[in-house]
Amino acid sequence: MITATALRKQFGDKTAVDGVSFVARDGEVTGLLGPNGAGKTTTLRMLYGVLRPDAGRIQVDDVDALDAPLQARARLGVLPDINGLYPRLTAWEHIKYFGQLQGLDQATIARRGERLVEQLDMKALAHRRTAGFSHGERAKVALARALVHAPQNVLLDEPTNGLDVMSTRAVREIVRRLRGEGRCVLFSSHVMQEVSALCDAIVVIAHGRVVAQGTADDLRALTGHASLEDAFVALAGPDSRETP
Amino acid sequence: MTVLLRQAFVVLIKELRDAIRDRRAMSSVLLGVVIGPAIAGFLMNRVADRQRSADEVRIPIVGAEHAPALVEWLRQQAGVEVVPGPEDPERAVREETEYVVAVIPPEFAERFRASRPAPIRLVTDGSRNDTRPQVERVRRLFMQYGSEIGALRLIGRGVSPAVASPLELSDVEVSTAQQRAGRILSIIPLMVLISAFTGAMQIATDSTAGERERGSLEALLLNPVPATALALGKCLAAALVAMLMVSLAATLCGAILLFVPLEEMGLRFRFGAPHLLGMLAAMWPLCLLTAALQACIATLARSFKEAQSYMGILMILPMLLGLAGALYPIDNQPWMYGVPILGQYVLLTNVIGGHPPGALAFLAAGAAAVAGAAVFLRVMVALFTSERVIFGR
Repeated sequence: MITATALRKQFGDKTAVDGVSFVARDGEVTGLLGPNGAGKTTTLRMLYGVLRPDAGRIQVDDVDALDAPLQARARLGVLPDINGLYPRLTAWEHIKYFGQLQGLDQATIARRGERLVEQLDMKALAHRRTAGFSHGERAKVALARALVHAPQNVLLDEPTNGLDVMSTRAVREIVRRLRGEGRCVLFSSHVMQEVSALCDAIVVIAHGRVVAQGTADDLRALTGHASLEDAFVALAGPDSRETP
Repeated sequence: MTVLLRQAFVVLIKELRDAIRDRRAMSSVLLGVVIGPAIAGFLMNRVADRQRSADEVRIPIVGAEHAPALVEWLRQQAGVEVVPGPEDPERAVREETEYVVAVIPPEFAERFRASRPAPIRLVTDGSRNDTRPQVERVRRLFMQYGSEIGALRLIGRGVSPAVASPLELSDVEVSTAQQRAGRILSIIPLMVLISAFTGAMQIATDSTAGERERGSLEALLLNPVPATALALGKCLAAALVAMLMVSLAATLCGAILLFVPLEEMGLRFRFGAPHLLGMLAAMWPLCLLTAALQACIATLARSFKEAQSYMGILMILPMLLGLAGALYPIDNQPWMYGVPILGQYVLLTNVIGGHPPGALAFLAAGAAAVAGAAVFLRVMVALFTSERVIFGR
């Protein structure tokens, strides 16, 4: 479970995130929905600890992420916005490297790695070097290395961005499986269909603030629009500040 | 602490594996380390060859029949071969079919008998450097014959030959053979020093600026591993390769010295295991410093390309030292051992020169290098946790 309380982050004189609070529960998929530049990535970066908030609190399970960042990180599996690979290492070596950095033993890495390779349908690529991998193949490797330590909380920053249909399905499959295992999944997206298809709870962010949260039905009811897309435009549009 | 070291070790292994697979970068590093000693060995062999060829000279003589006694005397000298000269001596020398031709004109015999200066012309090409020692030897042979005959003539007239030698000039060489060797071999410390930089360069840039440029740094930092472990692993990996390259450069220099006939160059110097060990003892701690320094600066750079250009600038450091060492022979001051890079340079020069300083000097220079490495590692850790550096802003 991840709890963000009144997060605030400023870059120069631009306030990127301005008092964001929400809860992502275990066994649920929480969607962070917002237009480009709304502050989704900055919010996630604060949650996984590479940016330090100017104000606010972050709780990962029962760990205060700002006081004990390493402990918090061990409970997080993250697919960051930019997920570059090492072109001279094989897919399997990526999984192994991150597993070792997470402090897992060889047997655990082998067992979990095998399972992830199977779940993500990457048997054919596992022992190939990642140079020349397609976008979808790269995303699978990044996802596998992020999940090798079986984290209770999973953060995905626009995981299906630029993926083809097959890879997108594989990612959704993983997200549903993680939810089924009782994990907390938080993912950001600006794609409406994806959010409505996957998420149990939606947090709409615009201009660095949470403008609405709830289920898809809640949002539709809140705005009075029948389609989620219309609801989203009403919430996150240029004049969204007046709407809520 | 043990957890930190274990994590650093994981990073180290990964960086080494990654670097070894970068065949192109690896081979350019190898080439950079190998080419210096190879060129030096080639040059030294050329010098030795020339020295050797001056010991055995072939003298083409035109008009040998006019001075049979002189020709006979020449034949009796060690390493001298007298052959008939070419038709046109000047053309032969100009066209480099001969390096020297001695021309004895017909009037030689008559003037020699009359005890008047008898002419001999030496046809040479002063613009040729390669045959200068041989020409010099030939000239000395003729002068030696002349002074022997002169002495005999004086004795024949009842005069001591000493009268005709108002000066007695002799050279007193103050440097020992080992020191002279050290000067000629002064290029070796420089090459070994440079290999400590080239060896660490690849991992130092690729695992920092390269890691960020490929976009894998953020993912790496998401692991529950302190930045100290990451920086330490990366620096140690770079330092290990640098140590390997330093050892390779030192061994190659040693191997080349075994093949170069130093004795023939008038240098009494045998390269042996103690020299190699001395060089490694001086250089291995420095590898930690070059690795940390380069990694730190590459982390600071905004892009991989920028990092590489900084590495080029850093390489000027040892080169400047080598240049200064060649222009102003360094007199050893104790404080020099406390200055990283300079201390190692002085150590290497002294090891090669045949009078290594005591263990304390090695310890001081090593400690200074390790302390410097620790400082740069600390800065690198700070950079790894700075938002500006992570996102390359």
